[in-house]
Amino acid sequence: MGNVLFTNVRILDGTGAQPYAGEVLVQGNRILKVGRGPRSLPTAGIDTIDAAGATLMPGMTEAHTHFSWNDQPSLGAIQKMPLEEHILWCAHIAERYLSRGFTSCVGAACAKPRLDVVTRNSINSGLIPGPRYLAASQEITVPGGLGDESPPHLPYPEFSFGAVVSGAEEMRRCVRTFMKYGVDTIKLNLSGEYIAGLSAEATPMTDAEIATAVEEVRMRGKRLAAHARSSESVKQCVRHGIELIYHASFADEEALDMLEANKDRHFVAPGLGWLVNTSYNASQWGITPEAARDMGYHRELEVAVETLRKMKRRGIRVLPGGDYGFAWMAHGTNAKDLEYFVRYLGFTPMEALLSATQLGGQIMMMGNELGMIRDGYLADLLLVDGDPLADIRILQQPQRILAVMKDGQFHKEPEIRSSRSRLSLTAA
Amino acid sequence: MGSYLFTNVRILDGSGAPAYPGEVLVQGNRISRVGGSGTGARLMPSSGAVVIDAAGATLMPGMTEAHTHFSWNNAATLDGIQVMPPEEHTLWVAHVARKYLEHGWTSCVGAAAAKPRLDIVIRNAINSGMLPGPRYLAASQEITVLGNLGDESLPHIQYPEYNFGAVVNGPEEMRKVVRTFLKYGVDSIKVNLSGDNILPDAPANTTWITDEEVAMAVKETKMRGKRVSVHARSCESIKMALRHGAEVIYHASYADEEALDMLEAQKHRIFVAPGLSVIVKLLYEGEPYGFSPQRARELGYEDELEAASRSLTAMHRRGIRVLPGGDYGFAWAPHWTNAMDLQYFVKYCGMTPMETIVAATRFGGQIMMMGNDLGLVQEGRLADLLLVDGDPVADLSILLDQKRLLAVMKDGVFYKEPAIRSARTGSLPGWNRTAA
Repeated sequence: MGNVLFTNVRILDGTGAQPYAGEVLVQGNRILKVGRGPRSLPTAGIDTIDAAGATLMPGMTEAHTHFSWNDQPSLGAIQKMPLEEHILWCAHIAERYLSRGFTSCVGAACAKPRLDVVTRNSINSGLIPGPRYLAASQEITVPGGLGDESPPHLPYPEFSFGAVVSGAEEMRRCVRTFMKYGVDTIKLNLSGEYIAGLSAEATPMTDAEIATAVEEVRMRGKRLAAHARSSESVKQCVRHGIELIYHASFADEEALDMLEANKDRHFVAPGLGWLVNTSYNASQWGITPEAARDMGYHRELEVAVETLRKMKRRGIRVLPGGDYGFAWMAHGTNAKDLEYFVRYLGFTPMEALLSATQLGGQIMMMGNELGMIRDGYLADLLLVDGDPLADIRILQQPQRILAVMKDGQFHKEPEIRSSRSRLSLTAA
Repeated sequence: MGSYLFTNVRILDGSGAPAYPGEVLVQGNRISRVGGSGTGARLMPSSGAVVIDAAGATLMPGMTEAHTHFSWNNAATLDGIQVMPPEEHTLWVAHVARKYLEHGWTSCVGAAAAKPRLDIVIRNAINSGMLPGPRYLAASQEITVLGNLGDESLPHIQYPEYNFGAVVNGPEEMRKVVRTFLKYGVDSIKVNLSGDNILPDAPANTTWITDEEVAMAVKETKMRGKRVSVHARSCESIKMALRHGAEVIYHASYADEEALDMLEAQKHRIFVAPGLSVIVKLLYEGEPYGFSPQRARELGYEDELEAASRSLTAMHRRGIRVLPGGDYGFAWAPHWTNAMDLQYFVKYCGMTPMETIVAATRFGGQIMMMGNDLGLVQEGRLADLLLVDGDPVADLSILLDQKRLLAVMKDGVFYKEPAIRSARTGSLPGWNRTAA
């Protein structure tokens, strides 16, 4: 870690301002100075990277990650992986997210109790490379709810990727255990899921169960997240103060009013990609568009698009991410969400970018030092070949992510010279 | 993977022959040509190959560590090993494995894992390309009996997860445990035949496991074509190992004439890795870890060192293969300092420096069960190679100096690239290092 000067860059700073030509000086792990125009900052003794007009933007935040989802075509198959392989998988995937430009990730749930906390701790200690990471619990659910995968004749917890509880006191023990392990976020499954054979609009958890979870979490100063497709579950989130609301497809006007009244408290990450790809791109795995429609996904996608457009108009924060890690939604392709925001939700490319950067810093609870390119902010930066505002899809192409810097250190270094020549020196 | 021509190297080929100047051409994952040249002049065509002029550095085979415990976590006590939960332990093992490769150990023979599947999972992840690491043979946990090395349970806390070993009683329990490890996919079953001086109540010269238990372990293992390795310090345990057909004998500190005769009779199929680091370190440098010289002597380490020195010197003279490795991964002998073993071999086992290099390379290929493909710089063999700044035969301590380990190649791919230009001053951390 030393000093790095990015010069000859188009700075897309995440404030909402249009990009401008300039330079950015990184010292240690922070942005020391952002300069406008041609060479204005001193360069003596500093590694200087002339980006030839490439875009410099803040690293992106994925607001709904499941590192431990393992490319399976079904929920039940996730838990076939033994524990040792699963933690190696999470470490492997964490590095992939960072390589693709996601310098921060908000864990939305893990498949086995400690996978997220161990991944986060290992990244923070420097043992493995990965994004800034907030660790989640398993999905806490009720018998028969999303996350309960145990067959009736094999009622064993290890079969489920969720943690199954029934009643407030079981909830309390479960939440306390996850708190003991050190999660940042407790995840509750408040609604159903069509692919699990449950109506997305079902809301099976009681207020008493939720209130107990919230009580234990607040005592320790942590946050909650919820799988909340149904309107009632969105209202539960607002009533109970659950900060991270995932999906929110069926939120009705009353739910939207409640959300808008509390918009500074909540983040919504709809995981739109899941609805799109399950609806139309999963034929190879036996889910034809007709089957998806019969399950209810086409209708949910239509309703979700309408709901999210309304949310955006009301100023509710909508962020990209989720549910990548299934067979039809490969880990690392998450930048597609920005395209979905533009294509389905009427976001401008700038708005889509801000949701991944400026709002990303906020959901990471570091809004005053992360998510924008400003003097003093942490140096999580991407160098991108081209203009994402002109074509938001370029962020999906790994070869156009020229460099990834996290905390002032390159994870992916810009290839400045042809690497082959390094080994061709002869003595003569 | 491409073609690399190492030119202007001193080839230390692992056969025991003195190093000679020459060139080595690597194509794909194999050594395709080896040429000696009196003058260092270019022998081989270089078009299409990346040429590495090594300016007289030594090119030698990658080394094999014959007795690794990746899951030992540099703790100062045996019960410190299991404090790590399995998730952290798995990531630790991945980290340790990668750094063994970085330190020039292109092959490792697992001697035991602290938790049932740690070795297997790492071997599979290395073989699938998910993780960088050495060629690896995965071991089971140490299968042991109540009260012996590996049984860490306290009288009032009796959970198997507390032990780094798997405790069995009787042949049928042995059968079940061995079958379980074989089901998981180990390459070798490890059995603790003798005690260990680190246990005052079960010292190195004790042997509490029965013939029936050992016979059962060997029978089930052989049925599946795998190997048995044993912790065998005591004289009786060495003989027991040979009677039953174990292939890899660890420690072998107390070998009498009969044991030496038995070892020599099987020298074509067995390997001995004494793992002297524990004894030497605790005897002479154990103070910071609670082992004063007096305590170490009381525990029997001075006796054991003397006995081991005599035994191993005799074994070496009789042509029994003695290999470097073990028990690195404790606080007093941390991981990756394993090249010290070569110096211990010179000091305590009557070997010449060249003989220690042969043990680490040629014998290493043999203990990896790849004696025709690995362990020598010879045409046709796999390209596991080290580029070393200086002559290790003249000064074995060079092999401990990371700055003098200029390059590490495994299977024709650089894990550590030679830094010929200083273009990259900070190397990329991370999982997926690939050659340029």
